Amino acid sequence: MTEPVIEAIEIVKFLGKGAAEVHALRGVSLALHRGELTLLMGPSGSGKTTLLSVLGCLLTPGAGSVKILGRSVAHAQPEELAKIRRDHLGFVFQSYRLFPTLTALDNVRLALDVRGEPAQPAIAKAMNLLETVGLAHKAGAFPSELSGGEQQRVAVARAIVGDAAIILADEPTGALDSENGHAVMTILARIAKDFGRGVLVVTHDPRNFSFADRIIHMEDGRILGSANP
Amino acid sequence: MSLIFRLASRNLLQDRLRFVATVIGVVFSIVLVNIQIGLYLSFERMVTTMIDHAAADLWIVPFGTKCFEDASLLDMRDQADALSVAGVTAAVPVLIGFSEWTVPSGGSTPVFVIGSNPGDGGLHPWNFVDGDLDALAPPHAVAVDRTYFERLGISGSGAITDIRDQQVRVAAVTSGIRSFTTTPFVFTALDRAQAYVGTPANKVSYLLVHLAPGTDVEVTRRFLLASLGKVEVLTSAEFRDRSRAFWLFGTGAGAALFAGALLGTIVGTVIVAQTLYSSTKDHLIEFATLRAIGSSSAYIHKVIICQALFSAVIGFSLAAGIGLIVVTMTCDSPLPIVMTPELTAGLFLLTVAMCVASAIAAIAQVTRIDPVRVFAQ
Repeated sequence: MTEPVIEAIEIVKFLGKGAAEVHALRGVSLALHRGELTLLMGPSGSGKTTLLSVLGCLLTPGAGSVKILGRSVAHAQPEELAKIRRDHLGFVFQSYRLFPTLTALDNVRLALDVRGEPAQPAIAKAMNLLETVGLAHKAGAFPSELSGGEQQRVAVARAIVGDAAIILADEPTGALDSENGHAVMTILARIAKDFGRGVLVVTHDPRNFSFADRIIHMEDGRILGSANP
Repeated sequence: MSLIFRLASRNLLQDRLRFVATVIGVVFSIVLVNIQIGLYLSFERMVTTMIDHAAADLWIVPFGTKCFEDASLLDMRDQADALSVAGVTAAVPVLIGFSEWTVPSGGSTPVFVIGSNPGDGGLHPWNFVDGDLDALAPPHAVAVDRTYFERLGISGSGAITDIRDQQVRVAAVTSGIRSFTTTPFVFTALDRAQAYVGTPANKVSYLLVHLAPGTDVEVTRRFLLASLGKVEVLTSAEFRDRSRAFWLFGTGAGAALFAGALLGTIVGTVIVAQTLYSSTKDHLIEFATLRAIGSSSAYIHKVIICQALFSAVIGFSLAAGIGLIVVTMTCDSPLPIVMTPELTAGLFLLTVAMCVASAIAAIAQVTRIDPVRVFAQ
């Protein structure tokens, strides 16, 4: 087995304060590897999204550590964490989070623009990724002119255009019908296999099992088990 | 081109009504500042018009003179004393004073009389549109500005009336010699000015000193002060500064104009800040997404500042257009609004500074964004 692209070690996280405090993660450890699509499953409130946020360097754990490509991100300042995200992480959200005032092409290009990449090569790369997700013909369309499935494919293209080693997807098929959900999962699986990325997908949908290399089940802030389907 | 400008402009234009409100705020603010500062510049120029047009190396003025219009009287003996100082080639007497012009059709109006003998290098009218300086040589001849024809009840050269029961004949007409007090100027020879104002023949308001080439101004000033009685000796620049200081700050007029400009800036800043803040608030989830996908704080700040600059450029362009219209419309008024290249550049910088300052609240809000909110449904 290769070195993990991302590794969580004994992560503990409390959310809220006082009476509203919740013990969201209770010593969670996991590792993702290149070429692997892992499904993270569990009931609502089990800590899946919190774990995704910690792995994505969006939340700082209360205890434990996260390593990205073998390097601990503990003690990193917000600007360093932002750099780690833009260099190594790609996100796919259930509600796409596309910019309504930008075209599909510009939405994809945005992930390169925040890295300071020059316009022309960035446009070429973004166009190439839109081709990969089968939306080259919709490059000039605004999100409001795209179907949910198309918007999610644009979001996937945005997540991978910066050559991120790790793709974190939060319920990427949650807002899609089965056909579009299948198309998006197919692309994510291809990203894992063909592009050699580590892909972690939070999902409730059992139809996604067939795409998984590994399924991790969470409950009450703990990992109950891991299985290879 | 980076997407920063595209994001910024589209964020702004997405809510057209709010964008219009922003631009109106900028336009209102800048036009107000433009008018206030334009009036200030105009006022500043007008209060020293006479000093600017007098040919003098030094001014001998009564002690304590606050401004050109405020002179008490000097004795003509001072002229002889001044001429005895080495380097002084001339000490030209000038008399100023208010008097009453009889309007030919009835009634009267106050006028400001300036008396100086033609040809002696004193204070004479300029911008003649009818007649010339020589026309003031004959008895009773005066020059007036055409701006005041209606006020004086005349239609041009040849008009005959009187000032304090002394006959007056309009022999020359000028254009653009206006007084900020709105009281018309009447130029005439020294003796007639003394008669019109009611001043004894041995009294004048100022002595305009001409120096021989190469004369040390400071040394001569010291000698003049030593030779003369209770007078002050000022360079033209000093007299200008003193007049400006009196009219602009001694009277509070300048402070009022600056207060208006400051108010305009504050109002503009508040309006732009409010609209930028609400625009940012509406796009918080997008800024959180930017943060989540790894954008630096600087990138997000650039988007917001770009929004502010976009508002500044559009608002300034419209304000400058309106300012030009106002300048054109007031050019023949008693106090025309002045717009100089320096003022235009200054206003643009003010607009930019105002809009960027307005972005601070929005930036502060974005700085507090928690990128985790991107996972909220």
